[in-house]
Amino acid sequence: MNKYTRFTAIFAVCAMLASCNGASNSTNANNTASNTTTTSSTIPIGMALAQTSNVALLGQEEVAGAKIAEKYFNEKGGINGTPIRLVFQDTGGDEAGAINAFQTLINKDKVAGIVGPTLSQQAFSASPIADRAKVPVIGPSNTAKGIPEIGDYVARVSAPVSVVAPNSVKAALKQNPNIKKVAVFYAQNDAFNKSETEIFQQTVKDLKLDLVTVQKFQTSDNDFQAQATNALNLKPDLVIISGLAADGGNLVKQLRELGYKGIIIGGNGLNTSNVFAVCKDLCDGVMIAQAYSPEHPGEINAAFRKAYLDQFKKEPPQFSAQTFAAVQVYVEALKVLDSKSKVATMPIAQLRTELNKQLLTGKYNTPLGEIAFTPIGEIIQKDFYVAQIKMDKDGSNGKFAFLK
Amino acid sequence: MNITIFLQQFLNGLSIGSVYAIFALGYTLVYSILGIINLAHGAIFTLGAYFTYALMGGTFGLNGLLANAALPIKLRFPIALILGSTLAGLVGVGVERIAFRPLRRKNSDTLLTVVSSLGVAVVIVNVIQYLVGAESYTFPANTYRGLPAAINFGSEANPIPIRTVQIIIFLVSVVVVAILTWFINYTKYGKAMQAIAEDATTASLLGIDSDRFIILTFFISSFLAGMAGTLVASSVSIAGPYFGIGFGLRGLAVIVLGGLGSIPGAVIGGLVIGLVEAFVPADYSGYKDAVAFGILFIMLLVRPQGLLGRKFVQKV
Repeated sequence: MNKYTRFTAIFAVCAMLASCNGASNSTNANNTASNTTTTSSTIPIGMALAQTSNVALLGQEEVAGAKIAEKYFNEKGGINGTPIRLVFQDTGGDEAGAINAFQTLINKDKVAGIVGPTLSQQAFSASPIADRAKVPVIGPSNTAKGIPEIGDYVARVSAPVSVVAPNSVKAALKQNPNIKKVAVFYAQNDAFNKSETEIFQQTVKDLKLDLVTVQKFQTSDNDFQAQATNALNLKPDLVIISGLAADGGNLVKQLRELGYKGIIIGGNGLNTSNVFAVCKDLCDGVMIAQAYSPEHPGEINAAFRKAYLDQFKKEPPQFSAQTFAAVQVYVEALKVLDSKSKVATMPIAQLRTELNKQLLTGKYNTPLGEIAFTPIGEIIQKDFYVAQIKMDKDGSNGKFAFLK
Repeated sequence: MNITIFLQQFLNGLSIGSVYAIFALGYTLVYSILGIINLAHGAIFTLGAYFTYALMGGTFGLNGLLANAALPIKLRFPIALILGSTLAGLVGVGVERIAFRPLRRKNSDTLLTVVSSLGVAVVIVNVIQYLVGAESYTFPANTYRGLPAAINFGSEANPIPIRTVQIIIFLVSVVVVAILTWFINYTKYGKAMQAIAEDATTASLLGIDSDRFIILTFFISSFLAGMAGTLVASSVSIAGPYFGIGFGLRGLAVIVLGGLGSIPGAVIGGLVIGLVEAFVPADYSGYKDAVAFGILFIMLLVRPQGLLGRKFVQKV
């Protein structure tokens, strides 16, 4: 082997390393499954969430909400005495991981229904699999256009971006009525962010503001100076970012470092306290529309908030509340079914079909407020909020302060 | 493209290119001594950034074994940078002991050593993920204390702001390259390293302990990787355990472009790739890697020995 053929071989190995990357994320599953079916003493509900990869920032919050829900509802007696058991499968951050997790939950873990996946991008490839297998899916954080339309078995508890996002632009105008020029940034490799930016851009036009530039980036980028400079040269008064926590936080940081002083609106991907670790003190002031407020009145939210505060010493984020609500929907629908005919002894295929029918007809008093579903599985939710990030002086921690 | 954007992108390119250069120098040093590419180099790059972050008193998030852990010390950035890079250098020495030396003793094919270093890379990345999770971490807000976030190279009316961190990265890289060049060419140790690179057997006949210098080479190489990792992370944050993999691959493109085993080649290759990437239009940022590797393929076709590499003659 001469030096150059050797180098080619090395190179091939490197390419392999790069491609193994994603795969290792998805095989890194937190596999707590066994071969039990619903005929056992617990009722398994599948949680297909991103526990690794850069999406783990969001997935971890969902896992926290799910675990609180499992404990809460089992302490209240589960499904008329039969406890629920959440089966977690890691989806990683990509479509392949989500498909793997769904298939394992459906075929191996034999779950009654699935909560997941974390990203809309993953839902578009994984949820159709559950739909074909006639397994109900509730998306805890899929807010892109077209999620409930995937199939009869696909619903969501995350209000679509078209309903939530415009609230933040209106709140920004309330804070600074002189806003005229708007720069929009979005991650072009992510279905959710593409869908969200369309809503933001439409809102900007509807409010008769001047959309001066639309800048694109990738969720895997970390250097945004070119996009930031392009936009800042046009002197915008408002910047709107649709990205995920790591890239979005970095973009906020670099915009501020390059001297941008106006209001920044973040999309739902930035709606997590994990963004604080990325942009630190420069996160201060970022406005984000919310589908959940920790201050929402009601007994169940008070219990959920307290459980979260006790465990994590901070206010519960939206994704935790939504995942809690998703588990709650299953629990309450299963309870109604169980009172008609024992779910623990029902054949799994029948249980899944009946559960899907039942969950779409109910009304649920969740930490998000009262929710219900349209016949195709779209959430009907009443209350929305806008929060603004307030960072501590040293920039190490912060919170979402809800605007009145 | 107006002059503001051109200047900004040019300086951005210089800054990132200079980091590529010091990172690729690490590859080059090991390659010139052992004729092997150390694929754990990208993982050590990541590790260096995490070390510096920890030494500055940074806390680790919820996800991982060390959730909410932090060291009781809060070092200033320059000290943490040097200490963190030194720790990365020591890990590099460990990598040599575990993944390189046993195979060298058995006179294994160099390809096996490369695969072994790849194994080390995967282990390091997974250990990081196990310990501190997949979250992004940004260095504390006061990393470059007292300095403004950006320096305006234009006027008040027509600003050309450049982030201070970019300028610091560039200056640090220039200093590091200068020190390394001096070390290799003008010190006894550097000359011994050159002698081993030229012919290890003759060098050992002349009384140079080649194992000792191989360890030194790995230390310097991994020190440079750790430093490059920290510098990049101070600009764009540590983007999780896989952060260094992309850099590892781009570093390979840099040394092929510059010429395998050539120190000035690594510097020029780094700057060229950095500048070319900086001028990839922002809308197509996802294609930066494709551009870097496109250059690599063209180079391999046109001039396989690289810009400054020596033509390899097969000795029978």
